[in-house]
Amino acid sequence: MNEHPVTLHVKDDLRRSRLTVFFRFLLCFPHFIWLYLWGAVVEIVFILNWLVALIIGRPAKPFQRFTAAFLRYATTVGAYLLLVANPFPGFTGERGRYPVELEVPTTPEKQNRLKTFFRIILVYPAVIVAYLTMFVVFLVYPLIGFAWWASMIKGRMPRGFRDLGANVLRYFGQIYAYLFLVTGTYPCSSPYVGISFEEPVVANVPVTAEAPAAIEAPVAVDEPPAVEAPPAAEEPAAPEAPEAPPET
Amino acid sequence: MTKSSRRLLGLLIFGALAGAWVWAASALWRTSVPGNLKLPHVDMSTLVTASELHRAEHFSFVLDLFGVAGLLLPLVVLALYAKWGHRFMKESAAGPIGTGMLLAMLGIAILWMAMLPSNLGQLWWLRRYGIVKYGYADMIIGTWSALGAEFLGICLTILIVMGFARLLGDHWWLAGAPVFVGIALLVTFVAPYLSSLQPLNDHPALVQAEHRLAEKEGVKAVPLKVENVGGLTTAPNAEAMGLGPSRRIGLWSTILDGRFSEPQLEVVVAHELAHHKHNDLWKMIGWYALFVFPIAYVIARVTRRRGGMAVPLAVPLFLFAWVALSTVTLPIDNAFSRRLEAEADWTALQATNDPQAAKALFVSFVRTTDEDPSPPFWDPILFGSHPTEAQRIGMVEAWQARSGG
Repeated sequence: MNEHPVTLHVKDDLRRSRLTVFFRFLLCFPHFIWLYLWGAVVEIVFILNWLVALIIGRPAKPFQRFTAAFLRYATTVGAYLLLVANPFPGFTGERGRYPVELEVPTTPEKQNRLKTFFRIILVYPAVIVAYLTMFVVFLVYPLIGFAWWASMIKGRMPRGFRDLGANVLRYFGQIYAYLFLVTGTYPCSSPYVGISFEEPVVANVPVTAEAPAAIEAPVAVDEPPAVEAPPAAEEPAAPEAPEAPPET
Repeated sequence: MTKSSRRLLGLLIFGALAGAWVWAASALWRTSVPGNLKLPHVDMSTLVTASELHRAEHFSFVLDLFGVAGLLLPLVVLALYAKWGHRFMKESAAGPIGTGMLLAMLGIAILWMAMLPSNLGQLWWLRRYGIVKYGYADMIIGTWSALGAEFLGICLTILIVMGFARLLGDHWWLAGAPVFVGIALLVTFVAPYLSSLQPLNDHPALVQAEHRLAEKEGVKAVPLKVENVGGLTTAPNAEAMGLGPSRRIGLWSTILDGRFSEPQLEVVVAHELAHHKHNDLWKMIGWYALFVFPIAYVIARVTRRRGGMAVPLAVPLFLFAWVALSTVTLPIDNAFSRRLEAEADWTALQATNDPQAAKALFVSFVRTTDEDPSPPFWDPILFGSHPTEAQRIGMVEAWQARSGG
């Protein structure tokens, strides 16, 4: 009952950098631009994918991977913006790089043609619920404000606020995955389905400005490498390649 | 090829490039102002009252102190950031370029916080003299919002620099510098379209005068526009904007509020037309291009000690080097700008043939901006994009003497 093909995994340690929390919204600006540009392509891909799914009965694999990468990426940006996670997200939606990750099926599944044809209409009830959720979020926006203050003062995100934000992200992830044909499973509004809170990578971290992050960036030393640059962990600002290895 | 012949070839190429650089710089430096023009000493106390002069000196002195703080503080803050900024790498889960972007944005953000007290002090001073109308909260919110645009700008810069550095290594500057020049061209071209310029409907006589002056100056008339800044400042200003089809003259609403006579406004319009006549915006981009190559090269050399611009570790040092080199070149940039402004004044005098209006305009500038007409020698070096008002009035008198007027 706890399972959904689109699941949000949260491995966040609740530690927050005060400096990045203070400037969090502005720090998201380059991501907003990239999200907008990538999203525009995803919309075109969706139309093509919709036609493909109507014809062959399942989405095209490259489109599926492309859209899945976008959904993972959008979720990391949302997590960063809503203080659900601490590190600055990458631009590629790569798996295994962020403490809050949307697990999305990258292998296309067979989908009912009739449901595919009416997908945009079928998603509406979930969208309404999402808007209600948003309404709730707006109601609790002061709480988000409190969370911001709490993060600024304590250097730590209150767990309840973090979980609330994570659930919003999870539900939106499921809605967009359904809308974009990544899955045929309808979004589940229950806060217990499709989300997993795992032990943080670094547990019981002392709350200091210097506390290690859950995910370390490459090499941070005073003496730089003489010749070789640190290995590129991701390709800069480019969507995931269609031929990425299958998800395990 | 032997080592010595390679060295000789390198020296020849460097010599040729240096020669081309000097030739281009001297070509841009030349103006139509007669080289043997001697500006007479102007006794400002005969033109403005002693209290106005004292007020302007006092105002400018304190403003200069804030200005010096505005030059030194970024150097100190970014020097510290260059040393310790890499610690923020652990706040990133992005790849090298994304992490570089984060470090660059945080550097700018820290600088914003460090500059805030100085900027608030400067605002207090400007408000005290009635030059600026907006409040402290407006300033904080406004500069906070502007940070978003700065973040986007610095991210684009990092994307270009690190992107090329990952492709070309330490030679990134060869590809990066032309891209920056291209961006400068694009920004200059689109700036009039992004500004909130309104048509000049209330001054038909000025529009007619502009056509007449344009004909005299031998330049095509450009649209006269108004920029409404009345809610922000009382300082008068005007600017030549755009390139080619986007060329405009933007008059601040504060210069049209009745404090300046029609002949004075014609001098202003003639001055801005002169900028278009002499292609000054192109020249400024050319000047920028002359400096961006060596600056980018020096940055590439300096950041090698941090592994080069391909790695985010070098980004804090990049920020420091960039600001430090810009500060070092500031005096020469200002000198170049003053030459262009002086030439525009000279051309405006020839076009309007009205030295009295020009003189009255420059005297009015002292009264309306409270700027010291004869500041200490270091003031124009650090902050003077225009000749001082005393120099401008001196040019009017020199022009009169030459014209027998």
